[in-house]
Amino acid sequence: MCTRSMGRSVTLLLGTAVALGSGWSVEAASQRIEKHFPVNGRPVVVIQNVANGRIEVKSSKNPEVIVVVNEASNKVDFAMEQAGDRVDVTASIGDASAQPVDLETSLQLTVPEETELQLKTENGLIYVEQVMGDMTLESIAGDIHLKEVSGYIIVKTTGGSLVCTQCAGKLDFNSVGGGAQILQPALTNVNLRTTTGNILFDGDFIRTGLYAMKSGKGLVEVRFSGSDSFDLKAQTATGTVDNQAAAFLKPDSHGTVGRLGSRFKGLFGTFGAGLAKVELSTYSGTIRILRRDVAYPSH
Amino acid sequence: MQCREIAEVLEQEGLAPLPESARAHVARCPHCQDYIADLETIVSAAHELPAEVEPPARLWMALRAQLEREGIIREPVTAPKDEPASWWDGFGAFFRSRGLATVTVGALIAAAAIVELRQPREPLPPEVVATAKQLNEQEIDVKNMHLAGTSPVDAALERNLNEIDDFIADCERHLQEAPQDDLAREYLYSAYQQKAELLAAMLDRGRSVN
Repeated sequence: MCTRSMGRSVTLLLGTAVALGSGWSVEAASQRIEKHFPVNGRPVVVIQNVANGRIEVKSSKNPEVIVVVNEASNKVDFAMEQAGDRVDVTASIGDASAQPVDLETSLQLTVPEETELQLKTENGLIYVEQVMGDMTLESIAGDIHLKEVSGYIIVKTTGGSLVCTQCAGKLDFNSVGGGAQILQPALTNVNLRTTTGNILFDGDFIRTGLYAMKSGKGLVEVRFSGSDSFDLKAQTATGTVDNQAAAFLKPDSHGTVGRLGSRFKGLFGTFGAGLAKVELSTYSGTIRILRRDVAYPSH
Repeated sequence: MQCREIAEVLEQEGLAPLPESARAHVARCPHCQDYIADLETIVSAAHELPAEVEPPARLWMALRAQLEREGIIREPVTAPKDEPASWWDGFGAFFRSRGLATVTVGALIAAAAIVELRQPREPLPPEVVATAKQLNEQEIDVKNMHLAGTSPVDAALERNLNEIDDFIADCERHLQEAPQDDLAREYLYSAYQQKAELLAAMLDRGRSVN
């Protein structure tokens, strides 16, 4: 069911009336569309966006998905469909001659706390807060910020960066130029890969967790806590390993470095009982290992 | 006996009953116990796999398309078209979909990795060199489409493509000097994959905009 035309007309009329009544000055073409989709259980929300602008997803206790679109012009067409508990929102360029400024559009979603998300955009920030459920987030140039989300999180960007604060579950990140900052995580499985971006992991390694972080040319920095327990492998081809926590890491107890011989450039070590597994690598960048509760000179 | 020696015994004799000295070490070494437990899990899982796994049909299609393009196999001759095929037809066959392009490059790299295991180490196996050459040709075609317009997204794609190209060049140079560097090789193959995905994304975007 395409709701764009009717929703747009009604909203435009209301918006115009409000604007005239209050004496505001607004551009004739800018408009706001709001749609409510009642759902049962755990919905799946799919957004395909070609417009420039922010996509913001927050949660509420209500069993409905609310979509609010704010457009700078009428040159982006929005189609919204509901099929059972799946809600699809698709934006397409209605006018091929539209300039980037005409495509400025923001999307605000309010979803139940347990929602599955599949968001795809080209530019502009994707922001998701307090949503529990598997999510696949793709962007070309836009950044992706996640706060207090949990589930199996897959993030793929070309140039956009990821900031993941207090995330839980499993995280896969893949980017060409974007970086990743993982802050205060409760993630049991982490797989981060970027070609030129930097990676920062600042938080606890959960026991039995698996953590792999790879950057082709960037900095891979890990700040672990004193209560952590993990086996560490840090490896580089032509870069450097800056181990500022050497005093806290027990040397390789398996003799692995010796087995690999002179071909291996990096280090193995164990912190605590070695319960989690941490693998860091860079082709030509720097791997930096720090303990969070120790003061180091600034870099 | 040390952990290293246990690993050597396991490499040579598998999980057959270990010598007494090895058993004594394992009995008091949690790392070796974990290691053996992991091996047992892998062996157990391997026994549950079918003898041959049928690859998905799309993989065969991708390989066939690639082999046809390279003239290694030929389709039955069909009636000629009224007009000669444009460059787009040939190019579009490879990049008919992002999935196909990605699977093709992935399959070629995987095949190269298998071939590489069976042959003495070279800086880059011929299959990978051919894939890289093909990607470079496709890159020229994509750039000729003038996709890199004024939009921030086009500019970002162009910038990321240049970054990938620089990185690939760096890895290739390094592997010429140090062909045994497996880590560099892993990064290089991953960069080829990313480049294929990037070119496919640029092409898809060009189609949707134009």
